[in-house]
Amino acid sequence: MNTKVLVAPSPHVHSGDSIQKNMYGVVFAMLPALLFSFFYFGLGALVVTLTAVASCYLFEFLIQKYILKTEVSINDGSALITGILLAFNVPSNLPIWIIMIGALVAIGIGKMTFGGLGNNVFNPALVGRVFLLISFPVQMTSWPVSKGLTSGYIDVETGATPLAIIKEGLKSGQSLSSLMDKIPSNMDMFLGNMGGSMGEIAGAALVLGLIYMLIRKIITWHIPVAVIGSVAILTGILHMVDPEAYAGPVFHILTGGLLLGAIFMATDYVTSPMSNKGMIIYGVGIGVLTVVIRVFGAYPEGVSFAILIMNAFVPLINVYVKPKRFGEKRK
Amino acid sequence: MAGKKESTFINMVLVLFIVTLVASAALGGLYELTKEPIAAAKLAKKLKAIKEVVPEFDNNPSEEMYSVEMPTGDLLEFYPAKKGDELVGTAVKTFTTNGFSGYIWIMVGFKPDGTINNYSVLEHKETPGLGTKMEPWFKTTDPAKAKCSILGKNPGTANLTVSKDGGDIDAITAATISSRAFLDAVQTAYNEYNKQMEGGTK
Amino acid sequence: MTNKDIFLRGFFKENAVFALLLGMCPTLGVTSSATNGLGMGLATTFVLIMSNLVISLVSSFIPDKVKIPSFIVIIASFVTMVDLLMAGYVPALHEQLGVFIPLIVVNCVVLGRAEAFASKNKMVPSIIDGVSMGLGFAMALTMLGAIREFFGSGKMFGVTLFNETYGMLVFVLAPGAFIALGYLIAFINRVRKV
Repeated sequence: MNTKVLVAPSPHVHSGDSIQKNMYGVVFAMLPALLFSFFYFGLGALVVTLTAVASCYLFEFLIQKYILKTEVSINDGSALITGILLAFNVPSNLPIWIIMIGALVAIGIGKMTFGGLGNNVFNPALVGRVFLLISFPVQMTSWPVSKGLTSGYIDVETGATPLAIIKEGLKSGQSLSSLMDKIPSNMDMFLGNMGGSMGEIAGAALVLGLIYMLIRKIITWHIPVAVIGSVAILTGILHMVDPEAYAGPVFHILTGGLLLGAIFMATDYVTSPMSNKGMIIYGVGIGVLTVVIRVFGAYPEGVSFAILIMNAFVPLINVYVKPKRFGEKRK
Repeated sequence: MAGKKESTFINMVLVLFIVTLVASAALGGLYELTKEPIAAAKLAKKLKAIKEVVPEFDNNPSEEMYSVEMPTGDLLEFYPAKKGDELVGTAVKTFTTNGFSGYIWIMVGFKPDGTINNYSVLEHKETPGLGTKMEPWFKTTDPAKAKCSILGKNPGTANLTVSKDGGDIDAITAATISSRAFLDAVQTAYNEYNKQMEGGTK
Repeated sequence: MTNKDIFLRGFFKENAVFALLLGMCPTLGVTSSATNGLGMGLATTFVLIMSNLVISLVSSFIPDKVKIPSFIVIIASFVTMVDLLMAGYVPALHEQLGVFIPLIVVNCVVLGRAEAFASKNKMVPSIIDGVSMGLGFAMALTMLGAIREFFGSGKMFGVTLFNETYGMLVFVLAPGAFIALGYLIAFINRVRKV
């Protein structure tokens, strides 16, 4: 046991927060979206989630024990979050070996290479996701159509995401209003009735998770509001300038991984800025980059790239927008 | 080091002059030496691309090459392949700007009746793993994927657009834009080829 | 310093890629396959040897103020020669390496060795230095190319080892070059310490 006297500078009062408590709080907040994805994609969603979580735990254990030879800390719950987020970001019919590669990249390259939880610059789940997207573009962009609880794991019908339909249609010279008939209504999209990856389809469930995390004070409102707000304003302006070429803000917020990214991935403690002002700069950066990639870039979806790019700016933001030191007097 | 030259104006001019003179002389000599192999290599590459897409021939198609200027200012190049005096096929170097990113250049070979003999992708900047599949995709011999292949089809009678747009060809999985662009390039080639044939000029 | 020391230093201890981190542009740009890496490495080796040789002979006649311009002209001449020769006799490789061949001119390894070694040393050590630096560079590029080719498309020197559908495309692309190079340097550093 630890018999040494612990000498530490103030503060000495512990609020009762711990890594585990916050991590499992996040997991609880993800439950509605998780249940939603089981409901929509059935067995496939279950297989993908279990594989992703189990591989994340396994690789974290193996790397800590045999390569880094440090204390094994797989119980802190961070591997669980990474696993679920990775599963949220992939189609529900993704082959198991690809998911395992994704988990290895997320934990191995995204987290452990930098020194483990707390030291990673980039969100591990997103590192895994983007690695898979670039490496296996066919498998990563064939989205199964939701068939409810009974749908199987493989051999499901595939369809495009609303964002991809719009992007492709505009590229081949069709007008936006004619394309709008081909995509689900806003209400359908909010309730998850569209093609997409497991975690991104159910806007309603993701918002439930956000409300829970805000009430429990696991996260503050700054990042999600900054991300969603900047996307809404920017696409609103573009839509007003030319409604035939740019889709409106509601469409952009409900489609793709925007809600998932804004609520669960941009808010990751380790890879987001510390001060409130920094969080807003960071969130606006993500929002603007997302719109730029979606509207002008080669990929239909840009949230994950936007978050990774802004992750890289976090140290810089932290230097220039410092949180007030405890006990420091206002100048 | 002993005998190091001072950095006087005359020394600097002299040294730089000698260095550049020797360098340019050496390069000029080498250029003359390698001129022929380089030209031969370029011709061989072009002939190889032509050979790939048309039936066997015994003339030199690049000598009988003629071209048509397109609205974009780029040239469509026609390489007639002949055996003896008979035209056995024409290789058309065609392009499209509808690709995912930039130009796609394709060499497509037509038999005299207008059916597609073969094609070869010369240059493109499509997404690796998706659009890059167009080289093998549209010439598959797998009977299960007969709808992917454009070989043996005549763009005049068959509808060379992707099946999503009501055409006869199955697009590359997850790369509809590149597929459309590819077929557009083939169609452009056929339209111009047809004009040339009907004109009876060649 | 004996000739053997010079060789070992250039090849491993001060390896251009793994230790000095010089010449990153071709290192990341052309190593999408082992063959490309080897081809680029050997082309650079040729330029290094020839420029080291010539510069060690003529450097005493060149005034200090025009040293760099003269070296660049000499290096650029050899690079252009390599470019012409490859275009004539190995057109396939020349097309693969593309713009990176002319870019050997600005490879810091070449000018760096000319300035730091060849201009201050006699002919024989300069040639050895060029050979070792060049081969070290070629080895690094070939290793990186082999790793990227293996993971990216399941091949090694063009020989298929496993089905390409299982290859991770990212390794063939630019991000994979950075990831593979990072882990390769980490691994080499680990080996060096033992």
